[in-house]
Amino acid sequence: MVMELLMIANYFAIQSFICYKVVCIFWLKIMTKQNTLREIEKKAYMSYHQDGLLDIFIGLYALAFGLGIIADKILEFGFGVIMPAILIAIVLPIWIEAKRKITMPRIGFVKFGARGSNKLFALLLGLTVAGLGVFTLFGFFMMGQNGRPWWIEILFQYGMIWIGLGAAVIGSLFAYTMGLKRLYGYGLLTLGLFASGHFLSIPFEYFLLTIGSVIIACGAVLLAQFIRRYPLPKGAPENVAQ
Amino acid sequence: MSPSDADIQNIDRLIHEPSRLTIMMHLYVVESADFQFLQHQTGMTPGNLSSHLRKLEDAGYVEVTKEFLDKTPHTALKLTRKGREAFKEYRRNVKRFIDKLPE
Repeated sequence: MVMELLMIANYFAIQSFICYKVVCIFWLKIMTKQNTLREIEKKAYMSYHQDGLLDIFIGLYALAFGLGIIADKILEFGFGVIMPAILIAIVLPIWIEAKRKITMPRIGFVKFGARGSNKLFALLLGLTVAGLGVFTLFGFFMMGQNGRPWWIEILFQYGMIWIGLGAAVIGSLFAYTMGLKRLYGYGLLTLGLFASGHFLSIPFEYFLLTIGSVIIACGAVLLAQFIRRYPLPKGAPENVAQ
Repeated sequence: MSPSDADIQNIDRLIHEPSRLTIMMHLYVVESADFQFLQHQTGMTPGNLSSHLRKLEDAGYVEVTKEFLDKTPHTALKLTRKGREAFKEYRRNVKRFIDKLPE
């Protein structure tokens, strides 16, 4: 009788040990995968950029650019050139302040490693160099003595589509580098609107206003969701280790 | 080849505890984070997170810096060099252990 009880106890002990080991191995396999760390990094990064502030500022930029071109036409003053320059100077400090006042009190502060910012810097540098290269090449052929080459005529003829394509490519590059999928959507929206603008013969600046408004609206929705999901902590600040 | 006792002994028990492992993983992928961010990411209660952080701090794995930002108390957390090395070593040891397990 005692032997039988011991055997039953032993059987259950072995079964429990096996179950425990299976759970442990499953847990450890998850934890040792590099992918899991990447996903955690991505989750941390995404939660910091789901506040919609980036979208609102991209939209504001497009909107101000469009308004600048309209003002340029009405007042015959170089607003179209000045507006983006003014915005570049003021948008970054405002964006940092907005992050500090809206995002940080709700989800806390995180500093990501240099890998992500290096990739972004490389992309910005690459785009600047490519942009300068394209403008130089354009200028060179435009000022040629034999008139404009045929391919520049085609570029001008389908200007809106090319600008839309450029915006879609740039949006996709940023979406890939920053891991923000909605930027692909903004790129595609720009391509769609500009392509339709080519066939409808509607001026360029009205599409900028439309795109800017749509992106601001998306950003506002994201911001509202973010504020609802992460309300401000009540009472004592949670940001302190006890 | 099955894992030996030494393989199991090599696994850092301080990191192996699931809550502390979660904290280490979240701090490993960033340069630094504050208490609130870590709490959101891990889903742990302030008391639980605080107690595990103290153990990791005592082991020299986590550096805790308390400061004031805009008159608000703020706790910045980052893995120390020792903590990063310990986590890398932990991953290597666990992987070695799993690789030696029979299918």
